[in-house]
Amino acid sequence: MGRDEQDVQSGVEAPADTRRPRSVYGVGTEPDARFSLANERTALAWVRTGLGLVAGGVALTSFATFADMPGVLDVVAGVACLAGAGFAGYALVAWRRNERALRLRRRLPAPSGLPVLVVGVVILALLLAGYAVGSATGS
Amino acid sequence: MSAAPERPAPSPRDEGLQPERTALAWQRTVLGVVVGALVLAAAGLRSGSTVTVCAAVAVGVLALVPAVLRPPTGGLPGSGRLYSWSFLVRVASLVVVLALVGAVWALGRALGAA
Repeated sequence: MGRDEQDVQSGVEAPADTRRPRSVYGVGTEPDARFSLANERTALAWVRTGLGLVAGGVALTSFATFADMPGVLDVVAGVACLAGAGFAGYALVAWRRNERALRLRRRLPAPSGLPVLVVGVVILALLLAGYAVGSATGS
Repeated sequence: MSAAPERPAPSPRDEGLQPERTALAWQRTVLGVVVGALVLAAAGLRSGSTVTVCAAVAVGVLALVPAVLRPPTGGLPGSGRLYSWSFLVRVASLVVVLALVGAVWALGRALGAA
């Protein structure tokens, strides 16, 4: 691919790397740009996952205005919004960890947010299913 | 992809279209932020909460303006250096703001209803 030549060339020509954060760009050597782009897309996918939780929570809130037991729905919606914020923050943390591992030529760390996400979505689904059953049998 | 002939000079265009895919991922994400802001604004309008509507509109505008003014080109940067961090921080903090407005509103309603 000639990719190594390019890396060597840019390493020779390039001025000092002033990109932030220094904890990432201050260590290791420049990886293949395609790997960094893949890391960036992964972080964006986490942001979108958090965004989905936030949008679902907000939609649930507006549904709660004309539903039975609006308090339960509002609590679930608030928790979903906060979880979405957490995943948006996790996107940044995971991007930083992965980029460091790429630059240091280490193994990528395990996606620790994934089991949390799966468990959270399952809990959310169970809560909403319980709410649906409860409101169906209650009315 | 079909096997392309080996090029003598390194091309600024990636065969796997990675920059394009990344640009599309950015567009999806910005679009998601705007849709989320619209959902929040609609919910705020329905219940007559001016603060929520203003915050949602502000988040939507802040997400759209940089995306429109500086669209991703779909090419690898000439210097070979990617500047991801500040953009990621911005879009993630917009999502966090959206989440906090939504959570404060939802939990406030729950407390008010209880």
